[in-house]
Amino acid sequence: MTTTGPSTTSPTSAEGRAPATVIARGGASPPLLLVIIVVVLGASAGLSAQTADLEAGRRKAEPCGRCHGADGNATLVAMPSLAGQPAWFTHWALIKFRDGRRKDPVMSPFAASLSDADMADLAAYYAAQPPRRRQQIVDAAKAEAGKELATLHHCTSCHRPDLSGQNQVPRVAGQDLEYLLKLLRAYKAQTAGDLEGLMTQAAQPLTDADIENLAHFMAILPAAPPSP
Amino acid sequence: MLRITLTSVVAAVALVLALGPLAEAQQPPQPPPAWQQGRPPDMANSPLAPVAAPPTPTPAAQIQVNKIKLPPGFKISVWADGILNARQMAWGDKGTLFVGSRVAGNVYAVVDRGGRREVKVIAKGLVMPNGVVFKDGALYVADIPRLLKYENIEANLDNPPAPKELYTFPKEAHHNWRFLALGPDGKLYFNMGAPCNICMPPDTHANISRVNLDGTGFEYVAHGVRNSVGADFHPVTKELYFTNHGRDWAGDDFPNDTLHHAPRKGLHFGWPYCHQGDTVDPDFGQGRSCSEFAPPLLKLGPHIAPVGTRFYTGNLFPPEYKNRLFIAQKGSWNRTQKLGYRVMMVELKVGQPPKYEVFAEGFHEGNNVVGRPTYIEWMRDGSMLLSDDYHGAIYHITYQR
Repeated sequence: MTTTGPSTTSPTSAEGRAPATVIARGGASPPLLLVIIVVVLGASAGLSAQTADLEAGRRKAEPCGRCHGADGNATLVAMPSLAGQPAWFTHWALIKFRDGRRKDPVMSPFAASLSDADMADLAAYYAAQPPRRRQQIVDAAKAEAGKELATLHHCTSCHRPDLSGQNQVPRVAGQDLEYLLKLLRAYKAQTAGDLEGLMTQAAQPLTDADIENLAHFMAILPAAPPSP
Repeated sequence: MLRITLTSVVAAVALVLALGPLAEAQQPPQPPPAWQQGRPPDMANSPLAPVAAPPTPTPAAQIQVNKIKLPPGFKISVWADGILNARQMAWGDKGTLFVGSRVAGNVYAVVDRGGRREVKVIAKGLVMPNGVVFKDGALYVADIPRLLKYENIEANLDNPPAPKELYTFPKEAHHNWRFLALGPDGKLYFNMGAPCNICMPPDTHANISRVNLDGTGFEYVAHGVRNSVGADFHPVTKELYFTNHGRDWAGDDFPNDTLHHAPRKGLHFGWPYCHQGDTVDPDFGQGRSCSEFAPPLLKLGPHIAPVGTRFYTGNLFPPEYKNRLFIAQKGSWNRTQKLGYRVMMVELKVGQPPKYEVFAEGFHEGNNVVGRPTYIEWMRDGSMLLSDDYHGAIYHITYQR
């Protein structure tokens, strides 16, 4: 078992930092460890082409930044990154928090105060933010085992072959490991809000080890934005 | 002795280590997501997938109703917008329109305020509460797990009472978003669809069933029904007619979705053995014949997705429209070129084959969605309300000579 978590050297904000560095270590001694330390430049070309909705979304996202990162690239463990998520995904997730299909001590009360327009603005804002790879320690052996599982369990059917997501389906590539574990376990336990029941169904055959391996595989992938 | 034992242990450990990854690589195949089930391997790279539901309703001004073609004298307009994922509709006694939804999880009440429609969410967070029926002051809602009853609802739109749970449906969720229809026998009719694209269903699924208004007296009405989301009772004969969605991934032009007539309970309509009344399934139809089953009344077209299915009982439309069956067709996803995206009508006359013709079309332009006609309800004056679960709107189709 490899303990996972953010690197202790991780900066709290990635803004204006050095370009990506990947340090891989391991191969000789089990458990195989791949330590990824990634700091990507806030590579945004700026929000020059922003619409009023995006600007409204940026303002409305200010309280969200504490957990999810100002630009939706979260750095706290178990907090999902929202940058580059398909707008429909973020919007549906907020709807589910508001109507109670998905429950969270922080998100449920927050979503309860949001209007439909707030949700649309927030979703559009986060969709427009370039996602960055998270700094986290991922077990390469588990990730390797998870790669096959992602095909076997048809994750790629809805999340796309690179797991970058589409429409209401989230990008899971490069997402926070602990968050992925938490959500997959909740789907297995049938306690996670599920728009059409597909994830709850998909998670039923997964063993604890499968969930670990899949989460490590998803976490290790580059956090590419959804292709058009 | 000790030496041998140790050697054995080492060998056993080595064997386990060697087999470990191998055993993992040989995990049995896992079921794909429901929409993909039954897709042949040679279509693995098919881009076809269900049309995703937007999280935002489209404002009326952005809906292109001007693109919809209707027979002479008919006119379409947006009657109400802002009803995310609007599906089945039912009128309350005091003029409230109740509207169900699927993925939105909401039930709505639309109230007319001097020509402006106010939309209230009266229930939220339900599991695909598609079916709505109003009877004696109460709203009946069918979501996937339960049949619910909201009593004295029209007096409590701003503070809806907690519903009574009248009936618990079987667990399987896929194809179990339900229509509700009030029968001439005073019973509530609903579908329990096949929890798959093509499979041998559990005994509890692939049927149309009914219960009494208090949730008792469950009975199967029709068997071998893959996925029906619309039904009505003939205004004269009072017999049940329903539409049904055929299987996916068997080709662009096969099988047809179908219209069925169930003059009595207990008939089997063929699925999964026989499709569209004339072709046995290559996997499940072995040794079976289509002649064993009640044939469809009409083939409606492949993948056209019939939803709202209602007889015309009003007096506003031209006289020949009386008792015609209107079928709102939400439109295809499992087809290279879009088909459906229209409202069709069927004339049923004793001794004659059904006459099938277009009523409203133009809800797609090539492969672009203009709208998705979903359910039908009649206004008191005989005009039509047509919901669109893609735009979250309700259209009004009226007629002037």
